[in-house]
Amino acid sequence: MLERILREKGLRVDWEAYRRLTSALAEELEWARELRRKEADWSYIESRPEPLRSALEKLVETGDLKLVSRLYSIPLEELNEERIRARIPLVVVSLSESGATHT
Amino acid sequence: MDIFSLYRRLLAPFVVFSEVRREPARSFAFTLATERKLLVVPRLEAVDSLALRIFELVNADPSLPSIDPPEAYALAFAKHSGLPLLTDNASPKLAAMTLEELRGTMVLDSLDVLKALYPRETLLRVLAEFTEDTGVRFSERRLRELGLA
Repeated sequence: MLERILREKGLRVDWEAYRRLTSALAEELEWARELRRKEADWSYIESRPEPLRSALEKLVETGDLKLVSRLYSIPLEELNEERIRARIPLVVVSLSESGATHT
Repeated sequence: MDIFSLYRRLLAPFVVFSEVRREPARSFAFTLATERKLLVVPRLEAVDSLALRIFELVNADPSLPSIDPPEAYALAFAKHSGLPLLTDNASPKLAAMTLEELRGTMVLDSLDVLKALYPRETLLRVLAEFTEDTGVRFSERRLRELGLA
């Protein structure tokens, strides 16, 4: 379905690479989500007023700072400062399948 | 060491620059602009169409980290200008690796930049300090890619 829609829009995508990379990325994103859940300072998050509390909870789940900033109408820089206080890591992930070492 | 020992100047499309709203980040950006280390690039019509296609590709798949219009524009501008894009979002890198129109576009994250800036013997300490200051972490797999884990 996705392929058909994007083809109709004139996007030329290397679908084999796309499937391979998105599969590797999905594993990394799940790992990152678990890390955020584990490392977040939940007592700090729960102490924050709304909508900050919900925004920080959403940030733990998604890791997507800009998306959460838009969803909750919280300025990006303010949300990022709150993120750091709440000890929610921003995780830079890999797109490689096995994490093979490159030299 | 700072990023300007790697790049003489940084270019920020206006749509990206306008996201910097609060102090002290805004003052810092203006200081860099005054020193001509940061150039704010006006919107180019020639880039818009590719930016829209990137936006549609990434956001059509809900399992991917989203890309917003400024970042999609920045990636399209990187292709247009032949310059690398600096971002910690995985989606622009994925788009550059799969979208034919973006072939050859370089997308670098913080780890790529820090590795280029610091010798191996100090890099792990620098990474620890960077994580402490920014709350940015690198996955084990990402560190292994660069031979750092």
